[in-house]
Amino acid sequence: MSEDSGKRQDSQRGISRRNFLGTMGAGTLGVAVSGRAAPAQGAVAVASDGTQPVTLRINGRRVDLRVEPRWTLLDVLRDHLELVGTKLGCARGECGACTVLVDGQAQYACMTLALEAEGHEITTVEGLMHGEELGAVQQAFVEEDAFQCGYCTPGQVVAAEGLLRGNPNPDLAEIQEGMSGNLCRCGAYDHIFKAVRRAAQLKQLGTG
Amino acid sequence: MKHYLPDPDQIPGEAQPQELPPWGETRVVGRSLSRVDGYELVSGTAVYTLDLTLPDMLHAVIVRCPHAHARVVRVETSRAEAMPGVRAVLTASTPGAEIPWYFGDDGPTSRLFDSHCRYAGEEVAAVAAETVHQAWDAARAIEVEYEVLPFVIDEAEALEADAPAVHEGGNLTEQREFARGDVEAAFAEADVVLGGTFRTPCELHAPLETFVSVARWDGDRLTVWDSTQGVFARQQELARYFRLPLTSVRVICPYVGGGFGAKLSTGKYTVIAALAARMTARPVKLAVTREDSFLSEGNRPANTIRLKAAAMRDGTLTALEGEFLGSVGAYPSGAVSPYLLLALYDCANARAATTEVYTNAGRARAFRAPAFPPCAWALEQTIDALAEEIGMDPVEFRLKNLATVLQLRDDLPYTSIGLRECIIEGAREFGWESARSRPQQDGHLRRGVGMAAGMWAYPGEPRATVFVKLFADGSVNLNMGASDIGTGTKTVMAMVVAEELGVPLEQIQIEHADTGTTQYAPASGGSQTVVVSSPAVRAAAVDVKGQLLEIAAAELERPAEGLVLRDGQVVPIDDEGAAVPLAELRGLRQRQNIVGVGRRHPHPEGKIALPFCAQFADVEVNTLTGEVRVARLLAAHDSGRVMSYLTYENQVFGGMAMGIGFGLTEDRVLDSQTGKMVNHNWHDYKIPTAKDVPLEQTCVPIDPHDTECNTTGAKGLGEPAHIPTAAAIANAVYHATGVRVHDAPITAMQMVRLLAETRGD
Amino acid sequence: MLPQFDYVRPGSLSEAIEHGATDGAILHAGGIDLLGCLRDGVFTADKLVAIAHLAELRGIDETRDGGLRIGALTTLSEIAAHPLIGERYTVLSQGAGSAASPQLRNQGTIAGNLCQRPRCWYFRGDFHCLRKGGSMCYAVAGANQYHCIFGGDRCYIVHPSDTAPALVALDARVRIVGPSGQRVVPLDSFFVPPGQDIRRETILEPGDLVVEVLLPPPGMGLRSVYRKVRARGVWDFALAGAAAALTISDGRVTGGRLVLSGVAPIPWRAAEAERALAGSRLDAETIRRAAQACVADARPMTHNGYKVDLVRGVVEETLRSLA
Repeated sequence: MSEDSGKRQDSQRGISRRNFLGTMGAGTLGVAVSGRAAPAQGAVAVASDGTQPVTLRINGRRVDLRVEPRWTLLDVLRDHLELVGTKLGCARGECGACTVLVDGQAQYACMTLALEAEGHEITTVEGLMHGEELGAVQQAFVEEDAFQCGYCTPGQVVAAEGLLRGNPNPDLAEIQEGMSGNLCRCGAYDHIFKAVRRAAQLKQLGTG
Repeated sequence: MKHYLPDPDQIPGEAQPQELPPWGETRVVGRSLSRVDGYELVSGTAVYTLDLTLPDMLHAVIVRCPHAHARVVRVETSRAEAMPGVRAVLTASTPGAEIPWYFGDDGPTSRLFDSHCRYAGEEVAAVAAETVHQAWDAARAIEVEYEVLPFVIDEAEALEADAPAVHEGGNLTEQREFARGDVEAAFAEADVVLGGTFRTPCELHAPLETFVSVARWDGDRLTVWDSTQGVFARQQELARYFRLPLTSVRVICPYVGGGFGAKLSTGKYTVIAALAARMTARPVKLAVTREDSFLSEGNRPANTIRLKAAAMRDGTLTALEGEFLGSVGAYPSGAVSPYLLLALYDCANARAATTEVYTNAGRARAFRAPAFPPCAWALEQTIDALAEEIGMDPVEFRLKNLATVLQLRDDLPYTSIGLRECIIEGAREFGWESARSRPQQDGHLRRGVGMAAGMWAYPGEPRATVFVKLFADGSVNLNMGASDIGTGTKTVMAMVVAEELGVPLEQIQIEHADTGTTQYAPASGGSQTVVVSSPAVRAAAVDVKGQLLEIAAAELERPAEGLVLRDGQVVPIDDEGAAVPLAELRGLRQRQNIVGVGRRHPHPEGKIALPFCAQFADVEVNTLTGEVRVARLLAAHDSGRVMSYLTYENQVFGGMAMGIGFGLTEDRVLDSQTGKMVNHNWHDYKIPTAKDVPLEQTCVPIDPHDTECNTTGAKGLGEPAHIPTAAAIANAVYHATGVRVHDAPITAMQMVRLLAETRGD
Repeated sequence: MLPQFDYVRPGSLSEAIEHGATDGAILHAGGIDLLGCLRDGVFTADKLVAIAHLAELRGIDETRDGGLRIGALTTLSEIAAHPLIGERYTVLSQGAGSAASPQLRNQGTIAGNLCQRPRCWYFRGDFHCLRKGGSMCYAVAGANQYHCIFGGDRCYIVHPSDTAPALVALDARVRIVGPSGQRVVPLDSFFVPPGQDIRRETILEPGDLVVEVLLPPPGMGLRSVYRKVRARGVWDFALAGAAAALTISDGRVTGGRLVLSGVAPIPWRAAEAERALAGSRLDAETIRRAAQACVADARPMTHNGYKVDLVRGVVEETLRSLA
């Protein structure tokens, strides 16, 4: 069994990788340095012009593909899996249009190598839908008109989802801080704040 | 508006007067309805140009000149051509690439790949490859030898005799003068004369979706999916570049991820994509990188404005004088405008001189109210200072001097002017008087309030054609050429159709922004979209209504005048119980559809319809660190009828957010040693974030019920929302601290120094 | 667009060290700074050595001496949200919480934040500057508004980190492991000023990696705070900032440190100010004296004179908040 499939099993058992590693973290340093504690079979080596098979978990689905070392998670989502809801804005972690959830936390897909996404649960804006129905955050964004051109919107929606998962009832200042990693050049911030508050209500009502 | 948008007065009008009476009470228009494309926007299913992949598509990238001024000596492409996946390399010597390049209506000023590179970022070569990674690898392998030339990036230096010439014939592009009355005498007789030199930053559009085109040829027919604000403008320009009839060029843009003016004119990337597609006989996508977009896809130029103004102690504004200097960048464009100075206030004696120059920097493009925010920055701070000097409240001083006619155009009357109400109502809602006299708290945080007024100058290009099609089941297709750049155009236009035809929004399908399938509309810029297209939509819907009621009148054996359309039914006014669903009309089933055609009527003669606004800011200044926090903003706008309050408010807040950037954080920086831009990314070029906008914002619409401007009563909103914000903030900063900041943006860097100087540190 | 590189995910820390010591290899943890630099061509990498999966580099634990151990891969979000850190080492919590954006804090690690390369726009841009092996510092005669007023020496970068000044203020140490074994180094001597070596910012040698940050137990009466001034509300580095960690007893400062961010190539200890504070009451006069002492040695450049005023102001405000 490879290390990667082991991680998948962990997440299937409901133990997140983060927690798993957290519990393993303390006091193991000496062992690791002095001996070869970690199994070598987990090792991966890919040449710059080669590709590596990876298994990603995206929106609850398993995806197998081969990636180059330099491909980012954003490259893979948009160019190889056609999940274009995750937007390309700057490709340098400066706009937030590519925000996805990694194990439930908002991160920029452009700053994550696809190889490094392995073993984590990735959620994109498409993954917030319930079939054809909008999720609570999406519904709230429509109700509050929390967008103009709409290009930053999927990233905003996913960031809001990440914020509310960590803090289901944020106050206005927490919303402002929580949504501060997503640029909106149209300047729909005010309505975005309202939408996040509305989304918190919808989630608490169990709607969407 | 020079170089940006067509002059409405130059457009031969159709002799078709305004026929429709103004709306009385509306049932749909004016309500706060969710956007018709909201689902697509939030679900990620809206496909923008950057999201598009066509079968067999190649990816192209551009090689750019790294020098501010250089000549291309040699381009070595052999290594790139041999790299994996490379299908085409384009340079100036590539057959077919010798395309002359136009900036506006004047003759060509450059070429697609010009060997004379006039700014850092100019296009030198391009590569098309199977993947975008391969294209970049190959682009990096292209070697270009340059002869580096002396450059000039400073506007004043560009005018010096020994300055490097950006173009043959020197760097002065245009000087203009405007005058009325006797300015000298007015200054001599005035009780108070003051002035100063103001400077505004070079501001970048930075739309979230970058500049991108996908081009495909079918024989001699070119189809371009383009992230553009106007498909018809793009179609015309592409037809010129490729010498094709208009019918052979189709431009499509279902969603555009922001533009703010930068996506009005054609960028070289679009033509390069089309050229590469023709060379390779494959579809080609070309997306300009974020960094490159900052270099080459437009900006609002820095302005230096020397202003002088005079008033009498009784509060009469007696003279205004301004000198404007700005750079268009390396190619023809517009840089400055004294319009606001000469139009906003009633002032018998006014004079302005403008100077525009070339420099070795990226070319200016239209940017949300071109040249107006800089002028507002200077004018509205000067007005504020004058008011203080004569001991009058700035609100009162402005109210005393409002223009009621357009002095710039021989005192042309306005169809409506709600500026007085904007200021009065805005001040009331804002709590101006109490905020103005609010005592300061102890400590280093000081509060202050300020306001600024504004107006916008473009009445719109009065031509657009719209089809509305009613299907046999009563559902509707709205077919219009206008782009929805995020302002809610689709939603607002569907509401107009719903208003006239009584069908629910969900029953209206929209085709738009496709030159192949929709009708002409001007580009969405200059705050003209609703102004120009909504009357055409209304006319088309009314055309359908007329035909429909004729059918219904025959079937119901009642006069058409006694019938109304409501909730998908034909309803006799005096017998609502006899209502008939549209789907049950035999005549409609017989015809299967009813097509209505609507055209925009000309603007009213002898009058002009323009929007006005007043904005109010409440700021907190940290006197230890110079940080300025905008605590509260209020905007009172006369943009005529509020078509949809949700999108109206959103756009107003968005304009103010951009104004916060203009006033507090944004500034393109060019390195004086190399002429290269050093902050061409979103970290170093700082647009406002969620933390930079106030949590308290208020939108106060002022509707003067204009029945003359057009048949929907709407005036423009997008530009005015951005015009006075920065100036209002600056006035509030002055009120808080006594420091008059002449140079935008008011960064902590500048403010902490000014505060220290004021203290005498 | 990223250029090509090999990628290695070693099976263990010792393998990571081996790989890291090879020519052209660079460690990859959160990746935020690294990928940005590669994308901009600031430097190249033949091989990325992934370490994000190494469990022993994670976790926040109390140490036997009453201090805290923070694993190198601990994210800034984890630090900012950690109750114990917020309570005992407020300055670090605030430093971590004021860095970058929420998403970047979710991904960026504490070690990465300490080891990030300078943000100087000439260094990051298409300029062959001294730090990249070129012959000139463009900031000297160029756009130097964001550059240093202390510690410049041919190169005028500022250290970009918000956690580093906090950690220096707290007298933290880092444990480094590498090909030549392991060592524990006070953070004070971890950073390399340009006068010492213009090509690097830390003492790390090839193959070295920071495995953990060690905080001493909080001193009696420790009160600490980080205040950062930036050009916009978030997602921005410090124009200037102050990290103060002072022990205060009966209203008098008994010890501690004051460290400045955004004004020097390394986290800048305001030693004169610390002396001015020692033994004094935190009253208005002491605070003014300390703030003034902070800038006594400032050497502003053509466009960053404001930083002198700003340091004075931000230090005054910071100390007032502790008074």
